[in-house]
Amino acid sequence: MKKKLILLLALVLTVVTGFTALSSTTANAATDNSLTKVEKKGTLVMGTSPDYPPYEFQATVHGKSKIVGMDVAVGKKIAKDMGVKLVVKSMSFDSLLVALQTGKVDMVISGMNPTPARKKNVDFTHTYYQGGYSIVINKSDKGIYKDKDSFVGKTIGAQTGSTMYNESKKQTSGTTVKGMTSVSDLILALQSHKIQGVAMEKPSAQAYVANNKELAAIPSKFDLSASDTSASVAFAKGSDALVAKANKSVDQIKNQNLVNKDYLPAAGKYLKTNTVNTSMLHYWKAFLTGIEYTLIITVCSVFFGFIMGVILALARMGQGGVVRTGLRWLATAYVEFIRGTPMMVQVMFVYFGLGLIVNLPALTSGIIAISLNSGAYVAEYIRGGINSVDDGQTEAARSLGMSSGATMRFVVLPQALKNIWPSLGNEFITLIKDSSIVSIIGVSELIFQSNIVRSDTYRGVAPIAVIMVLYFVLTFTASRILNYFERRMQHD
Amino acid sequence: MTKPIIEVKNLAKSFGKNDVLKDITEQVNPGQVIVVIGPSGGGKSTFLRCLNLLETPNSGEVDFDGQNLTTLDTKKVNELREQMGMVFQGFNLFPNMTVLENIKLAPMKVKGMDDAAATKRAHELLDQVNLDDHADAFPSNLSGGQAQRVAIARALAMDPKVMLFDEPTSALDPEMVGEVLNVMQELANQGMTMVVVTHEMGFAKSVADRVWFMADGYIQENNTPDEFFSNPQTDRAKDFLSKILM
Ligand SMILES: Nc1ncnc2c1ncn2[C@@H]1O[C@H](COP(=O)(O)OP(=O)(O)O)[C@@H](O)[C@H]1O
Ligand SMILES: [Mg+2]
Repeated sequence: MKKKLILLLALVLTVVTGFTALSSTTANAATDNSLTKVEKKGTLVMGTSPDYPPYEFQATVHGKSKIVGMDVAVGKKIAKDMGVKLVVKSMSFDSLLVALQTGKVDMVISGMNPTPARKKNVDFTHTYYQGGYSIVINKSDKGIYKDKDSFVGKTIGAQTGSTMYNESKKQTSGTTVKGMTSVSDLILALQSHKIQGVAMEKPSAQAYVANNKELAAIPSKFDLSASDTSASVAFAKGSDALVAKANKSVDQIKNQNLVNKDYLPAAGKYLKTNTVNTSMLHYWKAFLTGIEYTLIITVCSVFFGFIMGVILALARMGQGGVVRTGLRWLATAYVEFIRGTPMMVQVMFVYFGLGLIVNLPALTSGIIAISLNSGAYVAEYIRGGINSVDDGQTEAARSLGMSSGATMRFVVLPQALKNIWPSLGNEFITLIKDSSIVSIIGVSELIFQSNIVRSDTYRGVAPIAVIMVLYFVLTFTASRILNYFERRMQHD
Repeated sequence: MTKPIIEVKNLAKSFGKNDVLKDITEQVNPGQVIVVIGPSGGGKSTFLRCLNLLETPNSGEVDFDGQNLTTLDTKKVNELREQMGMVFQGFNLFPNMTVLENIKLAPMKVKGMDDAAATKRAHELLDQVNLDDHADAFPSNLSGGQAQRVAIARALAMDPKVMLFDEPTSALDPEMVGEVLNVMQELANQGMTMVVVTHEMGFAKSVADRVWFMADGYIQENNTPDEFFSNPQTDRAKDFLSKILM
């Protein structure tokens, strides 16, 4: 699953890079004014993957969920020194660099190591923090594992796309390395003994151990270059002015030892207050937000998907004339293409790919992608529904002088819709579930919120159980409502 | 001399290699009731559907009220169709609408009539076909005879100049045929121009002004009902009559 995600991302990146290459003249022109641009808009958008305490994580502050951690403090300082406001955008770690390259964010601060491979695609500032690696294990195993070499025949986990992941693969032999997108998933896997250790940066390991009595940390003994253990701020390739300005802030942070002196202790405080109350009830607001977004996405997508479906179905059924034949061909190609590609790729393509042309927010992108997807499926239902209406209905309407458009609208479509109402209802319920896919671009729907709660509480299973129940309540209620309307339409 | 309201000139229609209508030239005068009879598969439905252009003829002309339908654009054809009501063998009522809504739909959507006026007119027409007490019923709750009378009322709601009937009683149980024929007879008495495809010889004898006998893609005979039934000219007609009058 995770491998697939990486493949997909590679695909999207390739497409996106293709676009970037096409528009490289504009990119170069932007080089010089990268700083001016940020100053002009007055905000500096920071991308981060907030499941990596104490670097960055979600905390409940004054009843509101908020991204905190030492990286946010670093971002704040950089923004403040530029005289602009910091905006924090969260997304999965794998998506961060794509987001940077496509201009979704101005910079990435996410405990990211400035490796040579990454340097090819983005520009890094100086190091603001020099860390090291630990391996988190179950406390009960403390006698068994000493360092990275004790895991022969066992499995250790690391965050997909992270340096730890690559180094764990390179520097162990006879050990299976399992990648997962989020550290909280890895911890869950560890606690359920699917894996025996989790490689992560030292401060993170310390945070997890401090907050979970069943965990322990051991030294990793990885042989690492400085670039592998240091964290830097990433900017888009060629934004020299921004990097130079940010370097001034970073140097100050380093010289004054701000991370160890101020930022880490401050982050630690959030961690403490954060884990006092880990009951799921305490997080009802987070779940409510999730439900809200899940419903917004579903309802909007069903609405627009339906309109698209009608248009596509009519286009597919058009007959005669060059224009109609062309439209029919286009609609058929569209439906086949959408049904033949994964929704996940479509979501990423809309967000990152179309994002190069118009900068769409994640929620809008998600709704667009899912509507486009749903439209293709709905089109097929509607086509079937229209074909199921007796030809005599059309003839009767036409013989009364109604135009083909009016006949379709007032006579055929209402009957077609009645016939396909159950299929449309299924589509709605499917979308409630499938809308979860937009969590990968950081839309705070149910899955996304549950991930936040999981990394917040260090509890792996409870949030999953909660959203399972919530999803069921949503789909069950929806199917009851749909049934009610279906019965009401049965008067003939 | 009155000007014909429908004039068909050298009409031909084929489906692929099947030449259904070969060469038809006839006319219908205002107020006339024409009964079209003939063997099944002889092209009667196709002929009727060519009159209001539900089928597009391959060649020839259909003139309605002096205008050649085959040369008009879609919008004009839609307008002229309003003036030719059509009643189908299978009723073709809209199952998702009540009787009243069935009748009101076209006047409101095509003629732009307001709801109150359309409702009033619909009730008058339902009264005319003796069904006003069924205004709020759905088609699935009507008997065949009732459904066909609603279909007639629905066609009349557009105030057509001509009514086309395609075997309006063929799908009915025998005991319901009468009620539909009565409505049609009344309509004829009021002076409606009608082209009726039917096997009801009694109706043809008592109501029709002319009988057209159609077979093999031609109108084989065009005669008064008395002449046609008592003294058919062609062997084809004699053969047909001997079969159905047994
Ligand atoms: N839409 C159509 N496509 C192909 N053939 C048709 C179509 N409609 C009618 N026909 C053929 O035309 C011939 C005449 O049919 P029709 O006009 O229904 O005859 P009738 O009403 O006299 O029984 C039949 O052979 C029928 O199969
Ligand atoms: Mg017929």
